[in-house]
Amino acid sequence: MGSSANQDNVASLATDFYSLLESFKETPFYHLLFEIFLVLTVLWLILFRKPRRIEKKLTEKEKQELIDEWQPEPLVPPVDANHPALNVRVLDGIVGKTIEIDGKKSLNFATFNFLNFVGNPRIADKAIQAVQKYGVGSCGPRGFYGTIDIHLELEERLAHFFNCEEGIIYSYGFSTVASIIPAYSKRNDILFVDEGVHYAIQKGVEASRSTVKWFRHNDISDLERLLAEQDIHDKKNPKKARTLRRFLIIEGLYMNYGDLCPLPRMVELKYQYKYRIFMDESVSFGTIGQTGRGVTEYYNIDRRKIDLISSSLEYSVGSIGGFAVGSSFVVDHQRLSAQGYCFSASLPPLLAAAAIEALNIMEEKDTTLCDTLMEKSKRLHRKLLDIKGYLIVGEDISPLKHLRLTNSQNTVARLEEIVEFAQTRGITITVARYLNDEHHLPEPSIRLILNVEMTDEELEFLCTVLQEARVKVTV
Amino acid sequence: MNVGIAQGERNPNSSWLNSRGVWLTYIILVFVLHFILLSIPYITTSVAWTLTTTIHNLCNYYLFHVVKGAPWETSDQGRARRFTFWEQIDDGIQWTGTRKFLQIVPVVLFFIASFYTKYDKTHFLINLATMLLAVVPKFPIFFGVRLLDINRY
Repeated sequence: MGSSANQDNVASLATDFYSLLESFKETPFYHLLFEIFLVLTVLWLILFRKPRRIEKKLTEKEKQELIDEWQPEPLVPPVDANHPALNVRVLDGIVGKTIEIDGKKSLNFATFNFLNFVGNPRIADKAIQAVQKYGVGSCGPRGFYGTIDIHLELEERLAHFFNCEEGIIYSYGFSTVASIIPAYSKRNDILFVDEGVHYAIQKGVEASRSTVKWFRHNDISDLERLLAEQDIHDKKNPKKARTLRRFLIIEGLYMNYGDLCPLPRMVELKYQYKYRIFMDESVSFGTIGQTGRGVTEYYNIDRRKIDLISSSLEYSVGSIGGFAVGSSFVVDHQRLSAQGYCFSASLPPLLAAAAIEALNIMEEKDTTLCDTLMEKSKRLHRKLLDIKGYLIVGEDISPLKHLRLTNSQNTVARLEEIVEFAQTRGITITVARYLNDEHHLPEPSIRLILNVEMTDEELEFLCTVLQEARVKVTV
Repeated sequence: MNVGIAQGERNPNSSWLNSRGVWLTYIILVFVLHFILLSIPYITTSVAWTLTTTIHNLCNYYLFHVVKGAPWETSDQGRARRFTFWEQIDDGIQWTGTRKFLQIVPVVLFFIASFYTKYDKTHFLINLATMLLAVVPKFPIFFGVRLLDINRY
């Protein structure tokens, strides 16, 4: 049965094909012609067309015209000789309490040298000893032969200083907080960030790709409003809300404004709305609080309520790098997830040694460094309030103050004139400069930094010079 | 494709049709399409062949002459963004082997389809139309040409 059916099939196929061949003999004439034409075209294509590039052909005349038209541009365009970029102040030597600019010494109220550890001979000695012991660089990231015992010692000392479980150090202050934030907060998480945070935090927030909710600087009611909105949103979709992480990113003492964050209220809200607090204490480490332990000491808040405290070692401590302290569980995550920790070379041992020595000085038995600093800040604040025409922005205990001109005279140009005048009188101050893509550009101001070793006379002198400068500028 | 080679290909679209086995795969795919059409019961052989050529030519036209740019992150700084796939092949060199192959396949399909449809007039017209649609835009005169500004950007 099967074979005969097969034979039938084959036979039918054969007849089909035969009928096709028959019909080939009866093709319409035009069709045959067309097919022959196509066959010839195909043969021509295959045999006679060689590959060539399509190019725009320029005639010799056009080429010569283009060459004649061309005018070379000067390497440097003509620029006014008084351009500020051509007249920069050049420093010589150690940038400590006094700095040497163009051969003249002046008092330094510009750099972040709160405790005057830059140029401190004790710290310098320890650093030199470390160079003799360890060499200059650490030759590797922390995960690949770059961890030296002095790093571990510094981490332990920092954790001990803050009475936290663990510390972790970074080799660059800017990338500390910029790596920490994306290590915890990912694409769909929610960040509540104060508008006045400094640039490194803004970059960290941007890198995390999370949803950011900015609230007005130090405005608790604005933060509460955002939290309430988010809460309503969460209640509509509780399943999704359970997978979201929420963080509050604030600074202890704001670099751009000089005021403290309202931490107690934020900790209260933390337990109400369930978010984590990441605080950046770059400016308040070593300057606020009786022993320099920052805003948590000032407000007497248990440090375990703050999930992560990060700071830079480049300001009060006078070294390079940054660190973060918190519970082991929180900090340990950064050892694999923080880009600035895993993928950068570790801190050079001499700078770690300098940081350890600075901590030693800060932790000395009866030191009054931070107390003195707060006292002097208060005194300077009172003195500055006496000068007419300046608006002082910042807390009275803050060693970092912003000075603005009152009314509508507050422009960068006028402030630069004041700075220039002060320089001629032997005081170095600086206008606070920001990049163009700051999220919330603060108003122009002069950023005054108080050094703990400034004497009263020097502070008086500063105020006198500022007063004279104001008169000169607004005349 | 170009995994593991030392030089980076600026636009993989320009060379992947030259890769080993692509031409054979192309022909096999056309025949697979034809066999699928043949297995539908109510379609005669002639209709199946006409359908094969039509579908092949329409897909050919759409993929080579309508779709622009490349589905990769190319490192040619966006030069390929305005070019159709046909214009990107071999970086614009005309009359290369691939281009001739791709131009000849619709013609050969036309021959086969005409044979199997017994030179019927309707089938002839349909096959002719789609063959022209697939073959004519491949000539170098039409390089970069966008008629009536359709599909310009």
